[in-house]
Amino acid sequence: MTLHLSFAVWLPLAFGVAGLLAPPRLAPKLALAGTLLVLGYAIAYVIDFDSANAGLQHVTDEIWIGELGIHYKLALDGLNLFLVLLTAILWFFCTLWASFGAWEKPRLFYFHLALAQTSVLGALLAQDLALFVVFFDLMLVPFFFLTGIWGGAKRVHATMKLVIYTLVGSLLMLTAAIATGVLAATGEDGLSFAFSDLAQRTIESSTQNWLFLAFAAAFLVKMPAFPFHGWMPDGYKAMPLPVLALFSAVLSKVAAYGFLRICLPLFPDASEHFQTLMLLIALFSILYGSAMAFTTTHARLILGYSSIAQLGFIVLGIFALNSQGAQGAMLQAFNHGLVVAPAFFIVALLSARADGSEDIRDMGGLGMRAPVLATFFLIVTFATLAMPGSSNFVGEFLILLGVFQTKLAIALIASTGVVLAAVYALRLYIRTMHNRTGPRVESRELSLRDGLVLVPLVLAILAIAVYPQFALQRSEPTVTSIVPSALEEKAAAAPLPEASP
Amino acid sequence: MSSVELFAWLTLLLPLAGTIVVALAGRRLSGRGAGYVATGAMTLSFASAVGALLALQGLHHEERQVRAVAWDYASTVGIDAQISLLVDPLSVFMILVVAGVSTLIHLYSIAYLDSDRGYVRFFAFLNFFVFSMLLLVLAGNFLLLIVGWAFVGAASYMLISFWYRRTTATNAGIKAFVINVIGDVGLVLGTFFIVRHTGSLDFLETFEGIKSDFSPNDADLVAGCVLLLVGAFAKSAQVPLHTWLPDAMEGPTPVSALIHAATMVTAGVYLIARMHPLFELAPTAADVGAVIGCLTLLIAGTIAIAVTDLKRVIAYSTMSQIGYMIMAVSAGAYAAGLFHLMTHAFFKALLFMAAGSVIAAMAGQQNLDRMGGFKRSLPFTYGCMVIGGLALAGIPPFSGFFSKDEILLLIGDRGGWYWILYVAGYVGAFLTGIYTFRMIFRAFWGDSVPEALELEEGHMHHPDVHSNPANGEIEDTEVGFPGPEHHIAEREPAMKIAMGTLALLAIVGGLLQIPKVTHVIDHFLEPTFAESALYERDPSDGLISFGLILGTIVGLAGIAIAYVVWVRKPGMAARVRARLRPLHGLFANKWYFDELIGVLVVRPAQWFGSFAQQTFERVFVNGVLVGGATGLVRVGSSAVRAAQTGFLRYYAAMLVVGMVGLTMYFLLLS
Amino acid sequence: MDIGWYLAVSALIFTIGAAGVLTRRSPLVVLLCLELMLNAGNLALIAFARMHGNADGQIFAIVVMVVAACEVTVGLGLIVAMHRRKLPIDVDELRELQG
Repeated sequence: MTLHLSFAVWLPLAFGVAGLLAPPRLAPKLALAGTLLVLGYAIAYVIDFDSANAGLQHVTDEIWIGELGIHYKLALDGLNLFLVLLTAILWFFCTLWASFGAWEKPRLFYFHLALAQTSVLGALLAQDLALFVVFFDLMLVPFFFLTGIWGGAKRVHATMKLVIYTLVGSLLMLTAAIATGVLAATGEDGLSFAFSDLAQRTIESSTQNWLFLAFAAAFLVKMPAFPFHGWMPDGYKAMPLPVLALFSAVLSKVAAYGFLRICLPLFPDASEHFQTLMLLIALFSILYGSAMAFTTTHARLILGYSSIAQLGFIVLGIFALNSQGAQGAMLQAFNHGLVVAPAFFIVALLSARADGSEDIRDMGGLGMRAPVLATFFLIVTFATLAMPGSSNFVGEFLILLGVFQTKLAIALIASTGVVLAAVYALRLYIRTMHNRTGPRVESRELSLRDGLVLVPLVLAILAIAVYPQFALQRSEPTVTSIVPSALEEKAAAAPLPEASP
Repeated sequence: MSSVELFAWLTLLLPLAGTIVVALAGRRLSGRGAGYVATGAMTLSFASAVGALLALQGLHHEERQVRAVAWDYASTVGIDAQISLLVDPLSVFMILVVAGVSTLIHLYSIAYLDSDRGYVRFFAFLNFFVFSMLLLVLAGNFLLLIVGWAFVGAASYMLISFWYRRTTATNAGIKAFVINVIGDVGLVLGTFFIVRHTGSLDFLETFEGIKSDFSPNDADLVAGCVLLLVGAFAKSAQVPLHTWLPDAMEGPTPVSALIHAATMVTAGVYLIARMHPLFELAPTAADVGAVIGCLTLLIAGTIAIAVTDLKRVIAYSTMSQIGYMIMAVSAGAYAAGLFHLMTHAFFKALLFMAAGSVIAAMAGQQNLDRMGGFKRSLPFTYGCMVIGGLALAGIPPFSGFFSKDEILLLIGDRGGWYWILYVAGYVGAFLTGIYTFRMIFRAFWGDSVPEALELEEGHMHHPDVHSNPANGEIEDTEVGFPGPEHHIAEREPAMKIAMGTLALLAIVGGLLQIPKVTHVIDHFLEPTFAESALYERDPSDGLISFGLILGTIVGLAGIAIAYVVWVRKPGMAARVRARLRPLHGLFANKWYFDELIGVLVVRPAQWFGSFAQQTFERVFVNGVLVGGATGLVRVGSSAVRAAQTGFLRYYAAMLVVGMVGLTMYFLLLS
Repeated sequence: MDIGWYLAVSALIFTIGAAGVLTRRSPLVVLLCLELMLNAGNLALIAFARMHGNADGQIFAIVVMVVAACEVTVGLGLIVAMHRRKLPIDVDELRELQG
C-alpha cells in the first residue's frame, strides 16, 4: 500500500461521494471508514517520517496549469506533519461523535464533513501557492452548508456573517497570491507558484508589505484574532457541536500554518517590518480573549474566546521570529486542537445533563454522580489552562521564551495571559461540575458510547504531555530552517542560547 | 541504574502507583480499604526514601550528587529539558520529611475521614499530592521543577475543594490555584532570565557555570532571582501572596496538616535552598527574601492573635514560621532553615491533627468562641496539643526551640542590618507564645461547652441539621459535603499512633542539632552546599548562650501573658480589644490584604471584562468591524443591483450603448 | 453598383429596427423590429458576398435566417404563454426579474 499523499487528501471525498450514493443508514459508517483510513495513513506518515530531514518528504509534483506555472504539488515536512495527524485524529473522533446523533439529510451531512476534511488536508499538504489558496477557500464551502442547514437558532444570519467576513479576507489573499506569483517571476524563469521556487525569488520590500498584510488579513480573520473576531460569537452559537469542534480545532490551525508556510519564508522583510504590529495583535487577542472568557456565561463562547486567546499565543510564537517561538507555536497548534475538541464534546455532555441549556448559570453540581466525567473534564481543563505537566505548557514555555528574547515587555505582559487562562478555565469547571446542583440539572455518569470518543482523546493528551519531545523532534529541522533563513542578517546577532553539550 | 537512582525512582513513583490503583479499584475496596492501600503505598515510598538515604551515604562525599535520567522531555532549539532527577543530600532530606510526615497523615486520615462519601477520591488525591511534592523536590532541572510546582498547586486545589458542593470551598480552591499560577509564571519568567545566560535548564550544569555566566548582582540574575522569589512567596504564603492560605482551611483537616503546614508551603524554602548558588551571587535578591520573610513572620503573628477560627490561627502560625525559614535560607543559614522545616513539619502537623480531633468533637465547628473545657474530655488530644504548642513556642527541650534558635543565631551572626531581623525574630517568638497558648487555653481550659459536656458523658455531639460552619448554609451528607460521622483521636487507634509518633518526634527532634553538641544536619547537607560561601559558620559562644536564654525567656513570657489574659482574668481580653479597637481591627481583618488585592487586581480585571463584554464587543467589534465589512458588501451589492432594473428595454438600450461605445473606441483607435 | 448604397440601406433598416426595439412596448412589435435588424444584417452580408465574389456571405445569411426563425418561434411561444396566463402584453409591465 503506497503512502502517496494524494490518497490521504482525496480518500475522504471519495468516501463522501460514495456516501451520497449509498442508502442513508450507511452514510455515517462510510464516513467513519474514510476517516479511519486517513487516520491510518496519518499514523503511517508519522512513523515513516525522517526526523533529521529538514526538507520535503513524500513529494508529489505534477504540472497542473502549465501556462500559469501552477503545480499540483503535495509534500510533508516538519511543519504540517503533526497538523495532518491532528486533522486525521479529530475528524475520526468527531465523525464518530456526529454518528451518535440523527441528522436530517444524513448523506449530505457526511458528504460535507468529508469534503471539509479533503480541503483541510489539501491546504495543509499543498506546496503550491495557488493550490493552497484553492483548498483554503474550498474549506469554507462545506462549513457554509453545515452551519446553514444543520445549525441552531439564527443560523442563516450567523452563516452569512461568517462567510462574508472570511471571504473578504480570502479575496485579499487571492489578489495577493496572484500578485506574488506574477511579481516574483521577473527573472528568466517562467511564472511559478510552487513554494520552493517562490522562496528562492525575492520580491521588493515595499511590495512585500502589502502582500503580507493581505495574507495576514485572511489568516487573522480565520483564526480569529482580535479585532477580527466579530463573526465568532454568532458563528459558534449556530454551528452544530461536532462541526464546531472541527472548525475551532483544525481550521484555525491552517491559518497559523499559513503564516509559517507562506508569510515568513516568502515575505521575510515584511515579517520583520510588521513584527511589532503582529505581536501587539497577538497580545491583545490573549488579553481580550481571556477577559471575555471569564465574563461570558455561554459555555461555547467561553471556549470560543479561550481559543482566541490560545491562538493569540500561537501568533505570538510565530512572530517572535526565532526558532524557539516557532517551535512553541507548532507544538501549541497541535496541542490546542487536541484539547479543544474534547472540550466541546464535554460541553455537549454537560448541556445534555442540564436540560439542553448551554449557559453555565443553569449548571452546577454536575460532578456529583459522575466522577469519571469529572476526572476527564479536570484533565482537559488543566490542559486548556496550560498547566505545567501538560504539553500545552511546553508550547507556551517555548513561545514565551522566544518572545522574551526579542521583545521583553510583550513577553511579560503576555504571561499575565497564563494567569487569566487559569481563571477562566477553572471557572468553567467549577461553575459546571461543583457547587450546588442547578435547578434543571440531572447529574449522570459518562456512558460507554461517550467514553469511546472522550477516552482516546484524553489518553492522547496525556501521551503527548508525558513525551512532547515526540512532536518537537520531528518539527525541529524544518522550523529551524524556515525561521533563521527568513532573517539571515539578524540570525548572527540574535541572542539565542547555545545548545547544551 | 545505581541503587540511589533506583530508590529515588521508587520513592517518586510509588505514590503515583497508589493514586492509580486507588482511583481504578477504589470502588471495589470496602470500608477503609482505599485508605490502607494508599497508606501502604506511602509506607513503601518512605522505606524507599530511607533506602535512598542509606545508598547516598554509602557514596563518597564528592559523589553525593546523582542524576537519574529517564527520557528527553523537551530537548530542542537550545533548551535541554529531560525527565531527570537530582538526588543529593538536600533532596533526600526533603523526601524523608515529606514521605515520612505524609505517611503519618495518611494513617490519621484513614480514621478521620471514614464515613465521608468521597473517601476513595480523597486518598487518590492525597497520594497524587505526595507524588507531586516528591517530583518537585527531586526534579533535576528547571522545567521539571516547574511541573512539580504546578502539580502540587493542582493537588492543593483539588483537596481544598474536596467538599465541592460548598461554595466557600470552591471559592477558596480557585483563589489558591490562581495565586499559585501567579507563582508559576514568576518561576517561568525567572527561568528565562537565568537561562538566557547559562544556556542550560539542568541544575547541576547551571550551578557549575554560574560564576562565569554572571557577574555579582548582575541585573538579569537579580531579576531572575526576584521572579523565583515571587514563585516561592506564592507557594509559601508569604506577604503579599499569602491570602490563599487562610481560605485554604476549607479543606479537610488532614489536608491542612499535610499540604498547608508540613509540605507544600515549604516548597519555597526548598527552592531558595536549592538555588543558593544563584542567590549568593545576587545578594540583592537574597536580601529581598530575608526582608519579606521577616515582614511575614511579624504580620502573621499579629493576625494570629486576633482571629477566632482554630484552624486559621494555626494557618497564620504556619505563615509566620515559614517566614522564619525563608528568612533563614535567604540569609545563608541553609541548614538551620531546613532543620526548622523539619521540626515545624512535626509539630505543626501534630497541632493540625489535634485541632482536627477537637473540631470533630465540635461536629465540624471551628470557632474558638464556641469552644472550651475540652481538657477533661479529650486528654490525649490535649496532651498532643500542648506538646505541639510548646515546640512551636520554642520552649526547651522541645525541637522547635533548637531550630528556631539556630536560625536567629545565624542571622544575628551575619551582622550589619541583619540585627533588625534578629530582633524581629524574637518579637515574633514572643507573639508565637501568646497566640499558641491563647488557642490552647481557649479551647481546652475554662468551662466546658455543651459539646464537651456531652463528650464527658461518653457520646459525641451530633447536630440535627448539618450546616456549613462558615456561612450556616444547610447541607446533607452525600458526596461533596462532609460525612455524617466525626472521629476523635481518643477513639481511633490509627489517629493515636500518627499523633503519638509526631509528638515523640516533636520532643526529641531537636537532638539532631544542638549548638556546639550535635551537627547531624549540618554534616548531612554539606555536599549540597559545598560551594556556598555562607554555609560554614562559627558564631561566638556568647551569642549562642545569649540566644538560648533569650529564646526561652521570650517563649515563656508569651505563654505567661496568654495565661494571664485568657485564664486568670477572663474579662481582660475584651477590655484590651475595646481599648485598642483600630489595632485589633487591623489584625482581625488580616491587615486588609484581601481588600487591597480586590481593589488593585480583581476589580480592574472584572472591569476590563465587563468593558469588553458590554461596550467594546458591541460597539466596536460588531458595530464597526463586522458591521463595516458586511455594510461595505451590502452597499457595493446594492450599487451593482441598481443595474438590474428588470426593464427589458433598459437592457436593450444598455446593449446598444455598449456596442456603440466599443465600436467608436476601436474606430477612433485605428 | 457601389457597395456603399447597399450598406446605407442596410444601416438604415438596422437603425429603424433598433429604434423600434428600444421604443415599442408590445413584444410582438419588438420581435418584428428584431426581424428587421436581422434582415438588415443579412442584406449587408449578401452585398459583401457579391463584392468579394464568393458564396461565404450568402451561406452565412442562410444561417442567420435559421437562427432568426428559431428565435421568432420561441418569442411567439412566449407571447402566447403570456396571453394564456392573462399577463399584460407589455414589456414595461413584466419586470419581476429584477435585483
